[in-house]
Amino acid sequence: MSATHSEVPTLHGMMAEFADERSLIAGIERAKADGFTDMEAYTPVPSHDVIHALGVKNRFAALVFCGGLLGSCAGFALQYMVSVELYPVNIGGRPLNSWPAFIVIVFECTILFAALTAVIGMLFLNGLPQPYHPVFNVPQFARASQDRYFLVVHASDPKFDARTTRERLAAAGPLSVAEVQN
Amino acid sequence: MSAPHTESAPRQGDQVLGPRAGRWATPALAVGVLGLAAALGLGWQRGDGFSRLQHSWLVACAFFLTLSLGGLFFVIIQHLTRAGWSVVVRRVAELVAANTAVVALLFAPLVLGVLLSNDGLYPWADAERVHGNPLLSAKAAFLDPRFFAARCIVYFAVWWLLGRWLLARSTEQDRVSGPEPTLALERRSAPAMAAFALSLNFAGFDLIMSVNPTWYSTIFGVYIFGGSVMSFFAAAVLALRFLQSRGFLTREVSVEHYHDLGKFLFAFVFFWGYIAFSQFMLIWYADLPEETFWFKTRMEGPWAAVSWVLLFGHFVLPFLGLLSRHAKRRLALLTLWAVWLLAMHAVDLFWLVMPSAETSGVLVSPMDLASFAAVGGFWIFSLLRLARGRSLLPVGDPRLPQSLAFENF
Amino acid sequence: MTVSDTSRLVLDEPYARPILVDGARDLASITDRVCGVVERPTPPRAWYVAITITSCLTLMLFAMVGYLIATGVGVWGNNSPAFWGWDIVNFVFWVGIAHAGTLISAILFLLRQKWRTSINRAAEAMTLFAVCCAGLYPAVHVGRVWVAYWLFPVPNQMQMWPNFRSPLLWDVFAVSTYATVSLLFWYMGLLPDLATLRDRATSGLKRGLYGFFALGWCGSARHWQRFERAYLILAALATPLVLSVHSVVSFDFAVSQVPGWHTTIFPPYFVAGAIFSGFGMVVTTMVPARELFGLKELITLRHLENMNKVILATGSIVGLAYATEFFIAWYGGNPYERFVFLNRALGPYWWAYWLMIFCNVVAPQFLWIKKIRTNLLFMFVISIFVNIGMWLERFVIVVTSLTRDYIPSSWGYFKPTAVDVCTFVGTIGLFLTLFLLFCRFLPMVAIAEVKTILPAAHGHGAHGKHGGEGRPGREVSHG
Repeated sequence: MSATHSEVPTLHGMMAEFADERSLIAGIERAKADGFTDMEAYTPVPSHDVIHALGVKNRFAALVFCGGLLGSCAGFALQYMVSVELYPVNIGGRPLNSWPAFIVIVFECTILFAALTAVIGMLFLNGLPQPYHPVFNVPQFARASQDRYFLVVHASDPKFDARTTRERLAAAGPLSVAEVQN
Repeated sequence: MSAPHTESAPRQGDQVLGPRAGRWATPALAVGVLGLAAALGLGWQRGDGFSRLQHSWLVACAFFLTLSLGGLFFVIIQHLTRAGWSVVVRRVAELVAANTAVVALLFAPLVLGVLLSNDGLYPWADAERVHGNPLLSAKAAFLDPRFFAARCIVYFAVWWLLGRWLLARSTEQDRVSGPEPTLALERRSAPAMAAFALSLNFAGFDLIMSVNPTWYSTIFGVYIFGGSVMSFFAAAVLALRFLQSRGFLTREVSVEHYHDLGKFLFAFVFFWGYIAFSQFMLIWYADLPEETFWFKTRMEGPWAAVSWVLLFGHFVLPFLGLLSRHAKRRLALLTLWAVWLLAMHAVDLFWLVMPSAETSGVLVSPMDLASFAAVGGFWIFSLLRLARGRSLLPVGDPRLPQSLAFENF
Repeated sequence: MTVSDTSRLVLDEPYARPILVDGARDLASITDRVCGVVERPTPPRAWYVAITITSCLTLMLFAMVGYLIATGVGVWGNNSPAFWGWDIVNFVFWVGIAHAGTLISAILFLLRQKWRTSINRAAEAMTLFAVCCAGLYPAVHVGRVWVAYWLFPVPNQMQMWPNFRSPLLWDVFAVSTYATVSLLFWYMGLLPDLATLRDRATSGLKRGLYGFFALGWCGSARHWQRFERAYLILAALATPLVLSVHSVVSFDFAVSQVPGWHTTIFPPYFVAGAIFSGFGMVVTTMVPARELFGLKELITLRHLENMNKVILATGSIVGLAYATEFFIAWYGGNPYERFVFLNRALGPYWWAYWLMIFCNVVAPQFLWIKKIRTNLLFMFVISIFVNIGMWLERFVIVVTSLTRDYIPSSWGYFKPTAVDVCTFVGTIGLFLTLFLLFCRFLPMVAIAEVKTILPAAHGHGAHGKHGGEGRPGREVSHG
């Protein structure tokens, strides 16, 4: 770790701080009009309009469905294997493959697998847990989880240039503009 | 606070069926009359003292009655929760819910038969048979023809009064500018719900469960409730699609409202499955002869196939089919499922009632179709008469703007 | 920004969708208010008093469990013919309590009931703590707790497997799935709030701990988008799960042939009862908690009133189920079935039965009156009645049927022992201790979710279709 201290930090991007959602969206629209494409917004509350403005899309409902399906199959297979193959015992004269009695656990396994898929899928796709993120290097960013809205134009954007990007962002009337060091 | 219900509401004249209702009502009436004649003729020809016909008649009456009861539940719960999204679809539900008087009239002959000790449908109507059977005589105090008739009158009176009152107050709101009718609906919807729950629960036992008077299941009323609400949502989708195809409510009812109706349709498909499974599994598992015989009849012989159709058609397939958001928002697909589920609801009622009349061979008789046409024809005729002069949109509802602007996330 | 007291708002303006929280409604002050509870250097004195008492009770629980393990389940009152006693009664009681949290977070979310945001966090936490108390009973009642893993299908050298046709095993799966999914739901909802606490933390230790559990949440739009999708899906999954858990618990009884247990209405009736008791417990704990931690502006009287309405509705459903059960017991014509119900009402446990009827069916009916359901003292008393009544319901079901079933020669009378009583009181202590710790160290109100219902979150509602009410955040006008 200490070896990297001497290196000059590269730039992650340029960050603008906004007071509310409306000004953030205006900022995003402006940045898009300026030709920036590689951006990220940070908000204290989920906002559909921000997500919409950024054009973010994803779907993992299908993934969760597959998880659920796997759960039902696993649940039934477990019960069938145990009750019919591994440990066949006559219980109250009920058939070994008592499917009406198996439905409950099939259902529970479906929900369990699907829910785990949803949460783990969300964390995985979001890259969480993430021990380090450059945005936290900006002191104002502590308020991103409270009451401020942030827009970061990434340094990887083809049109990015530290000075002009700062000017462009400042033109949108943010509360502050700061460089985000890596 | 300004009253926003004046700003964007469409003009009332746009959404009234008017003479068109009459144009559609006449063929419906004709279908009803022809169906009735055919049903009576076929019933006579059968030569079983109209026993088989009474069974099909009960199925047909129960089908259209449950549509209305599902509508009643929907309307009451909307007022109870002060829902905003549903205003644009609520009038259609109110009309369906208020349309129970015609079923009462059509059901009356069956009650009359019971009073005349005709045991063609309800075996307990025959006093001698009851005396000879200890299981039946144990409950003779309840399954008594006159008491039964009195209960039927109470049920239908409660439903009719509730339906008419909900419709009347709602249409009153179309005319007045203050929110008083809506507030009255909200205040009284809680006791209305209590009356609805009590009457539906016991009506399920009386009208359908007692066709098999020795069989009993405490969940039966809930089972009927699940099917009723599900069938209502299917019917609502179809009714709205029909009205929109004729140019009504085209701007008001959007895909967002269909999406919500689709969600409820899906939810009640699942609820029905949950209740049906609970009833079946508990009886199957405990394996008590006084209960299992009912399922044994339905799991053997020709009825086994119908049970499988119900399992897959009423639960598994629609569950998978309506699971995705896509299916609920693609209207052609949603309509298809609505038709399918209404058909399944009919199969469900048929499966509940008919095994006591048909045990082998072809289970369906032309009488079933004739009864269905008769009750359906009269029911639609009466529905159109109700709808004729009324706006199809609660134009005066204070939450109409919310409903018009409604969007799913 | 208008600051009106929502609790006094008379709902005679049907087009108005009042903002659900009182006081200052900007993002910063909501954050301050909720985080303030956690960040204040010392909690209120009442908190110390309460946690002292409840931790003593918890210690008593541990002592009782230790005694039980060292001695055997004979220290409980379970004995022929009532081999199921307070252990299963308490298990079902606590599982029932656990239903409100996930109902509030999942079903009310799907139904777009925005008022849930103020109470869902605490209710979900209660769900988890109640599941802990419930899970304790099956774990210790097996006697040899060191082989409790036999409950699970674990391959072993004895080649022995659990019986999947037994409803008790279904319970193992249902309750553990419920615990897992509730924990996931709760923790996922906590992520953004943990990040808030991390970003506000003053000491390195707090920053480290909250930061560790916040998993590096930074609130980017892409994260929120997946988060919301997952939350919605989780809500859709948890909804049938809530229905299933208490249904499965009811199967423990209903699949049997014991009179009074084998009745098909048990699944929905148990679910309604569970929601009833869960909301009862939420009201019992939230009424003092909101006073103690100064959250009256967030958990308003209107929230409590709504919960009381749910209590009234579910209590009435429970009443209808009692009536249906009684009626069908008579209608079925089975003499044993008829006897059991008469025995409940008139037999040796008549007092439990009528107390149950009073607590579950009669007492909630007072909530029809608005004055009573908006009065803190009355609602607190009624919620206590609900808790007692729902405990008695399980007691009546378990004990009356077992002590007087078929053959009078094998009838008996169940009496709990002091260990039974102390164990149950101990679980109440455990539940409250965990709840008090939760109130002190984690945000009691879902900060990010409450913010979504504020007009301030969306540039003062300017983009909303109708004065900010058309589409505030992820929760649209309600359904």
